[in-house]
Amino acid sequence: MTDAMVAADAPVLLRASGLRKSFGGVHAVQDISLGVAAGAVFAVIGPNGAGKSTLLNLLSGVFRPDAGRVTFDGADLTRVAAHRRVRHGIARTFQKIRLFAHLSALDNVVAGFHIHTTVPAWQYVIHGPAFRANHARCRAEAARLLAFMGLEARASVVAGSLSYGERRMLEIARALATAPRLLMVDEPAAGLNAQEVERLVERLQTLRRDGLTILVVEHNMDLVMTIADRVLVIDYGQHLFEGPPAEVQQHPGVIAAYLGDEAPNVKP
Amino acid sequence: MTTLASALRSRSATYLLALIVIAVLPLIFTDSYWRTNLIVCALNVMLALGLDFVLGYAGQLNLGQSAFYGIGAYAATLLVTRLGVPFWAAYAGAVLLAGLAGVVLSLFAMRLRGHYLAIASLGFAVITYQILLNWISLTQGPLGIYAVPPPPALALPGLPAIDFHNLAALFYLVAGFALLSYLLLDQLIRSPIGETLAAIREDEVSATALGINCAAWKVFAFGAGSAIAGAAGGFYGGFVGTLTPDAFFITESFTILAMVVVGGIGTLTGPVLGAILLTILPELLRGIGDLRLVVYGAALTLVVLFMPGGLAQAARLARDRLRPANTP
Repeated sequence: MTDAMVAADAPVLLRASGLRKSFGGVHAVQDISLGVAAGAVFAVIGPNGAGKSTLLNLLSGVFRPDAGRVTFDGADLTRVAAHRRVRHGIARTFQKIRLFAHLSALDNVVAGFHIHTTVPAWQYVIHGPAFRANHARCRAEAARLLAFMGLEARASVVAGSLSYGERRMLEIARALATAPRLLMVDEPAAGLNAQEVERLVERLQTLRRDGLTILVVEHNMDLVMTIADRVLVIDYGQHLFEGPPAEVQQHPGVIAAYLGDEAPNVKP
Repeated sequence: MTTLASALRSRSATYLLALIVIAVLPLIFTDSYWRTNLIVCALNVMLALGLDFVLGYAGQLNLGQSAFYGIGAYAATLLVTRLGVPFWAAYAGAVLLAGLAGVVLSLFAMRLRGHYLAIASLGFAVITYQILLNWISLTQGPLGIYAVPPPPALALPGLPAIDFHNLAALFYLVAGFALLSYLLLDQLIRSPIGETLAAIREDEVSATALGINCAAWKVFAFGAGSAIAGAAGGFYGGFVGTLTPDAFFITESFTILAMVVVGGIGTLTGPVLGAILLTILPELLRGIGDLRLVVYGAALTLVVLFMPGGLAQAARLARDRLRPANTP
């Protein structure tokens, strides 16, 4: 059982209904609906090629759906461009890590403050007090986020030289710089060792305790069972099951499609 | 904070040094041949800085710089000679028009990247050249516009009027604008705009995920870079005295690109050094006749092969070598 269950009447922050997306003849996502409660950790699982990343790209606005709607905190985002969705409070990371490889770890995070920059236009040319205040605030905040993700000693290292695990953590720190209400992480544990996964889980739980809503696409069942309040299972782009993690492990269809014939080896 | 303070000190020192160099140069080079070359240097510095803002900072390969240069030159000259607009108003119009042309081109080329953008901008340069050549009723085509006056004399209170028929005075004016362009870009790059452009250059998908409107910022960079080319062009007619389309043929775009590459893409000192070197080098090599083109080409190739960071990188390496080991 998760340590903090979300109240059953928590308002839905992110809602998707009837999402469809095809690429040529491939139906990547077919009629997927979901509702992520505010303050919850919502997991999307499924075998490789099930359409998890496509679903995430529909939610973050990288792709436009062929049909269906996406609403966030009551606002219809279906036709809203990806960069505008960030201003509504949606941040994300990528399955294949995408960082600004030639910039330092700190500068990667600083770039994340773009939408919160409060400098009058003329001060871009003549650097005044607002400019200096913004400069100092962004760097202090970025350093704090790096420290939170355990990267304080690596602030000045170029992102491309960081280890794989460090890059995963940096990508999350950068997403947090946008001050999101919903963080969507795409396979954050992929390629991490056990120790790194443990640290990741602990950080995600801290964020969630601080009120952040998290949508996680993941392969690592241990992680999903540990942190998720609710799990959506998709296969071949279709809804297979949605419910609390404990039920996912019991569901015969899920076990057959995703976990194979053997029951998952997870701690309750 | 000590590092910030010392950085500020070294920046002011750099600008002071640049001012001194600009002040002294026409006193060293007193003949009109070399003073003319100095002005060409200053114009090329502006063109290279403008291109590097688009190429080195926003990551967009723009081969249309010759066209923006030409638009600035023809707009400033025609506004003065045809409509009798005062020079400085015409100059401002030329800068705006070149910037606007950059904005329009980048709006059309928005979906293009890399080679495709390069070809689209090259196409724009070709079209602009053909218009300048063939719209004879406006530009007088290949015959050119003659007897273009230099900027009007500047009367500062308490000082004798500065006459821009004097090449030293004209050099101070153009070099002053080149320094202003440098200062403007330097400030922009050190502001959050620099961080935003770096994010776009590095990875547009990530930048979008941080809420950055990549398309809008690329248009901004294009507009700024071409406005600076227009600012160089605005001085061209009055400086040379005649205006023909040949000065804005597409090869000029490649020369400016070479200045940026040889100097160092993505630095501000680089394009300055590259523009000066590639302006002066062909003049120094005039003595060896057509062989100079071979030497010029060989020098370019060697730099690209062995110093991909350009002269700016070489300067950095030299400075690090000279500096005592115990200071950071």
